[in-house]
Amino acid sequence: MCVAMVVTVVSVMSGFLDMLKNSGRQIVGDVIVSSGIGGMPYTDEFLVDLKGLTDVQGATPLIDTIGLLRMPYPLGNQKEVNHVQVWAVDPISLATVTDYANDLYWKPAQNPAAADAMTEDDPRKNLTDSILTDGKTLVQSKTGNPGITLGIHVSIGNERQRDGSYRPRYGWFMPGNDVTLTVVPVSSQGKIAEPREQIFTVLNEVQTGIYEVDKNRIYIPLKEGQRLLRLDEAPLYDLNAEPDAQGRYPVIGNTPARVTKILVRAKPKVTANELRSQIETAYASFANRIKADPARTASMPNVVNILTWEQQLRDLIAPVEKEREMMRVLFSLIYLVCAGLILSIFWSIVVEKTRDIGILRSIGASRFGVMWIFLRYGLVIGILGSLLGVFLAWLVVTNINAIHEAIGSDAPPAIWIGSFVLTAFFAIGLAYSIWRGKLLPILLWLLATLVMGLIASFLALHHGTLIWDPSVYYFTTVPDQVDWWTAWTTAIGGVVFSVIGAAIPASKAADIDPVEALRYG
Amino acid sequence: MDELQINSHAHSDALHPLLEARGVRKTYSFGSVPVEVLNGVDLAVQPGEWVAVLGSSGSGKSTLMHLLGGLDRPDKNGGEILFDGKHISVTHGKRLDRYRNLDIGFVFQFYHLLPELSVFENAMLPGMVGSWMTNRSEARESAGKLLDSFGLSHRLVHRPGQLSGGERQRVAIARALVNSPRVLLADEPTGNLDTKTGEGILDLLAQRHANGLTLIMVTHDPAVAARATRIVKLANGRVVEDA
Ligand SMILES: Nc1ncnc2c1ncn2[C@@H]1O[C@H](COP(=O)(O)OP(=O)(O)OP(=O)(O)O)[C@@H](O)[C@H]1O
Ligand SMILES: [Mg+2]
Repeated sequence: MCVAMVVTVVSVMSGFLDMLKNSGRQIVGDVIVSSGIGGMPYTDEFLVDLKGLTDVQGATPLIDTIGLLRMPYPLGNQKEVNHVQVWAVDPISLATVTDYANDLYWKPAQNPAAADAMTEDDPRKNLTDSILTDGKTLVQSKTGNPGITLGIHVSIGNERQRDGSYRPRYGWFMPGNDVTLTVVPVSSQGKIAEPREQIFTVLNEVQTGIYEVDKNRIYIPLKEGQRLLRLDEAPLYDLNAEPDAQGRYPVIGNTPARVTKILVRAKPKVTANELRSQIETAYASFANRIKADPARTASMPNVVNILTWEQQLRDLIAPVEKEREMMRVLFSLIYLVCAGLILSIFWSIVVEKTRDIGILRSIGASRFGVMWIFLRYGLVIGILGSLLGVFLAWLVVTNINAIHEAIGSDAPPAIWIGSFVLTAFFAIGLAYSIWRGKLLPILLWLLATLVMGLIASFLALHHGTLIWDPSVYYFTTVPDQVDWWTAWTTAIGGVVFSVIGAAIPASKAADIDPVEALRYG
Repeated sequence: MDELQINSHAHSDALHPLLEARGVRKTYSFGSVPVEVLNGVDLAVQPGEWVAVLGSSGSGKSTLMHLLGGLDRPDKNGGEILFDGKHISVTHGKRLDRYRNLDIGFVFQFYHLLPELSVFENAMLPGMVGSWMTNRSEARESAGKLLDSFGLSHRLVHRPGQLSGGERQRVAIARALVNSPRVLLADEPTGNLDTKTGEGILDLLAQRHANGLTLIMVTHDPAVAARATRIVKLANGRVVEDA
């Protein structure tokens, strides 16, 4: 029991952590180079440098900012507006760094069998490949216009089903609808310029699995982002010269386009930390090269952060890690309870069986032999309990999403009606035991009837509560991988503590003096 | 010399006691008051003897039996107990367990069978508990034979609770004999039984004695003691009469 609890909780927490780390990596790559909102210029050259590094799998530039998104719903003039995190990306290279392409949710069924498995109301049944390619390129192939992809939980139009798939809610299937994005350009001096807005057609939706991301993130093409945020290539005017007749200053060159972030993906087996130091070196030489070149019109940003994904997501990961360790320690206290339980049970057995132990000793059982009887039981109980615990935990953990969904929805009538039938059966047992007049059975039947009645009423009245609130726990599904290392160490700990719990009464048993024991027999 | 040594190990050496108490003392203390229950018991039992130990209640008969059976030890410097010429009062641990298990059999007034085990399991128990691995199938066979000869073959799977006092005592005797000990110690084996049932038990013991078993038996009852070949009386912590 104890083992089952520890393993379940720690597994879920570890799984959660792993998921967090994994998806963290899937979402931001291994190393993030980021500057302030003013952006970094000449990043095309830096990207070439980066791709030259042997340990780099891919690198992608992006602009990360915030914006407002006006949704096409509700009908009428008063539309809903969400604040969103805007990622202006190069979708092709983004897919080499993150799982962007795979995370696109709307895609046609892979094969006819999969299509048949989908229910009629599943929008995926009637999709064509174009929705996927549009999402992957952020360009609407029909019109050639730049488009937008939304995190799957950005719009209210997606309702999550038990099996994890989505159905349009209120008829709002987002792809094909137009949304209006408003962003505020900020100059490198931190001055806010006139907000700009643009209409985009939703091409697809993205499911990263991290709720915070899926709830807030939208993707637009990098070029569009640069233009909207005034980070694109533009003529550079000489403000010290005299303006011409139209009041324009003379052009003395071009300011280069900028991005605010570069995500880099390491080759397999290269750690994020290794890659980070390489990138630091590469960036330093790149920045020096630019500074040394007098022909460059734009200056490099003062502060550039080069962080691994772990450092970047520290705030997210650290509390969970701490929480898991806390849990591990707290639940390990359960061991003591287990050991105490075994100890007291065995102790009372030893006291009760003092005479029998004396008999065994008198016919030649050794002290160790007597001790072994109890140790062996402790061992057997520990091993069986631990195996059972691990098994139970495995059952619970691997089915945790199904269990969660079941708790989250109404109990099926068959089950609660069945519970009432069982209650009635227990009530009959109660009546019979009252008629028989024995006190213990009456009490037991009464308890069974009450408990079953409570369960039945609870099930009948139960209307679903979601324990795993996705907005709190980042993920839309509960981790369902057993943390085997924890499982087996916990199990072994369980066995050890059972044996320790048994060892104390066992020693007492071994110390029983046969003559004493038999005198009071 | 050689001859003597060989003789001293032979079973039937009448000159050499099988079980012997020399100046044995045993003191119990009630709180801070020591009570000397035995103060210098000398008793030598020859192979093949049937000794009845008589004495008033509280004279220390059971105490002496426990000492002879290796269930307890004499006081420090309180004499010695020898089995087949070897000190058992100074050995401990495994050797003493072995002595209890193989060399002697002990029968109690109140049977002391394990209530959870069947008659058969109770009888073969000494064959199971020895860590020196007495042959289990041998113990089975021997338990079966003994119970059979005690007229209990139809009772093998019963629990002790389902048996009469006489039947229980026969099971207890079977248990004591299952490892073929050379001495049987019986503390009032008929004390809890009516005369007729007691007679049956005594007949059974007499038969074993006739087969060469050495017997030491505690009793209150002179009629019971009369079945023995030798009567020893205990009083004031000593052997006062030996005939
Ligand atoms: N463990 C003990 N602690 C204290 N006193 C004890 C203990 N065992 C025996 N005695 C005392 O030693 C004395 C002798 O006891 P023992 O049982 O040997 O007598 P007995 O001759 O067998 O008597 P009975 O005929 O009633 O069985 C008694 O006074 C008893 O109270
Ligand atoms: Mg007595």
